[in-house]
Amino acid sequence: MIHSHIAHFYALAAPDFVLGPTSNPEERNILGLVAKVGLEIGSEVIKHRAYAQDIQNVIGGKATHPVFCLPGGISKPVTKEEQKDFEEKARSEVEFAQFSLKLFNDLVLGNQEYLDLITGDIYTMKSYYMGLVDGNNRINFYEGDVRVIDEDGNETSRFKPDEYLDYIAEHTEPWSYLKSPFLKKVGWKGMVEGKDSGIYRVNSLARLNVADGMATPLAQAEYEKMYDTLGGKPVHSTLAFHWARLIEILYAAEHLLELSQDSEITSPEVRTIPSATPDEGVGIIEAPRGTLIHHYQTDDKGIVQKVNLIVATGHNYPAMNISIKKVAEKVIDKGKEVSEGLLNMVEMAFRAYDPCFGCATHTLPGQMPLELTIHDSKGEAIQTISRH
Amino acid sequence: MPEKTLKKNMVMKTLVLGLGNPILSDDGVGFYVAEELKNRLDGLDVSIEQASTGGLSILDLLAGYDKAIIIDAVKTGRAKAGQVGRLKPEAFSATLHASSPHDLNFVTALELGRKLGMALPEEIDIVTVEVEDVTTFSEKCTPKVEKAKHIAVNTVMQELDR
Repeated sequence: MIHSHIAHFYALAAPDFVLGPTSNPEERNILGLVAKVGLEIGSEVIKHRAYAQDIQNVIGGKATHPVFCLPGGISKPVTKEEQKDFEEKARSEVEFAQFSLKLFNDLVLGNQEYLDLITGDIYTMKSYYMGLVDGNNRINFYEGDVRVIDEDGNETSRFKPDEYLDYIAEHTEPWSYLKSPFLKKVGWKGMVEGKDSGIYRVNSLARLNVADGMATPLAQAEYEKMYDTLGGKPVHSTLAFHWARLIEILYAAEHLLELSQDSEITSPEVRTIPSATPDEGVGIIEAPRGTLIHHYQTDDKGIVQKVNLIVATGHNYPAMNISIKKVAEKVIDKGKEVSEGLLNMVEMAFRAYDPCFGCATHTLPGQMPLELTIHDSKGEAIQTISRH
Repeated sequence: MPEKTLKKNMVMKTLVLGLGNPILSDDGVGFYVAEELKNRLDGLDVSIEQASTGGLSILDLLAGYDKAIIIDAVKTGRAKAGQVGRLKPEAFSATLHASSPHDLNFVTALELGRKLGMALPEEIDIVTVEVEDVTTFSEKCTPKVEKAKHIAVNTVMQELDR
């Protein structure tokens, strides 16, 4: 959670705010950001992202795609030396998360133009929200119940992982290889927002919206500040996903510090070898980009026969379509030149969801598959702009 | 391995990095070439890594080395499948194995790392293999790319020998 959120905020989100949404694209990137805020901050970004990766690497054998999972547990315990290192890094991560929120406060919230952009209509979408919560309705990334709220903040569903098929269904469109999940009880009403549409959102802001609070004190204070500033719960501003992401870095860092101080993490008891043949299992966690569902069914030999995955980007896919359409309709006018800056404003709508479309599978000379086609009132395509 | 390479690699920390997705047919070619190089470079002071990553994560892998040779699949459509080439990072204005909406492209990540004073290799060479199929789930390359693997291995050996 920590390394992913740090990379997304500083490399992809912050340039839009620190440099400006319509600023020169040659500078509107992490290099421009570093030039503006200073090399020292850039070094801290790289350092703290790497700290989080180091911890994953030590625990999981690899930072990305860990290799330590075995049936019934994991392959090796954490040593006392590793625990000490984790604790030092966790303290540093807490400080860095606080610094990042201060930077956001000074550079984004301190700029009325940006605050208006966050709270304005073009980046606002009313939807249901989904995320994991613990028994006290606090955010939990690893276990608990899946809670769903409506646009007014009322809880409409609460379910255990193995009940997910009673609550979530998937719609297919002939023009897309991605399915569109929706709330079964509300139903699929097309790519439309609002309470009558079963479209829901996951990821950082959704997690904060469904929770009654954060499970750590510093993050709780920031949670309260966000909702006070943005007018109470739930917040529907798509750009507020970035703010929520920073609060989640702080929560994750505080929780990391708690765990690093727990003597239980160096216990050698890391695996209970299963004695029964598995038949079916559903696991739900909160990945950086939102709720992640894995469902496996096996035969009588325990060999997997059927798998169903609903990943975070999938949950958010219908909402991304609506968010993009909404911005495009607002910023593109007849006779008005569609500049790169306006195109970037459309892109900001989907970037807020931090989508992951098969990110590790591209080959040279891969390019961002973003193309904007402008149609006239008769549906004729009059201009196409691609971003490479 | 010629003696000169041995001497050179004693003073230079060198990384050979195979990139790709080993379950997506030809996209795994960089991965497989790195695997074959493990035997060829056994006993030499050259690190070999395989990764399915891009952007900032590549910086973590490159840090601390003086020289790096990256092997990756390319699909330009301008060459025959299996054609092996050599490139420098500067050749890419767009991206290298990470055109992801949630990570940096390789060139930007490299420039950032250098600006921030990270200990990144001064010399980076990229060995490319033009590929055909990067969408079929398979742990084998297509025949033309399969045949090109040993050429890519030899190209890396030549790069190490320069």
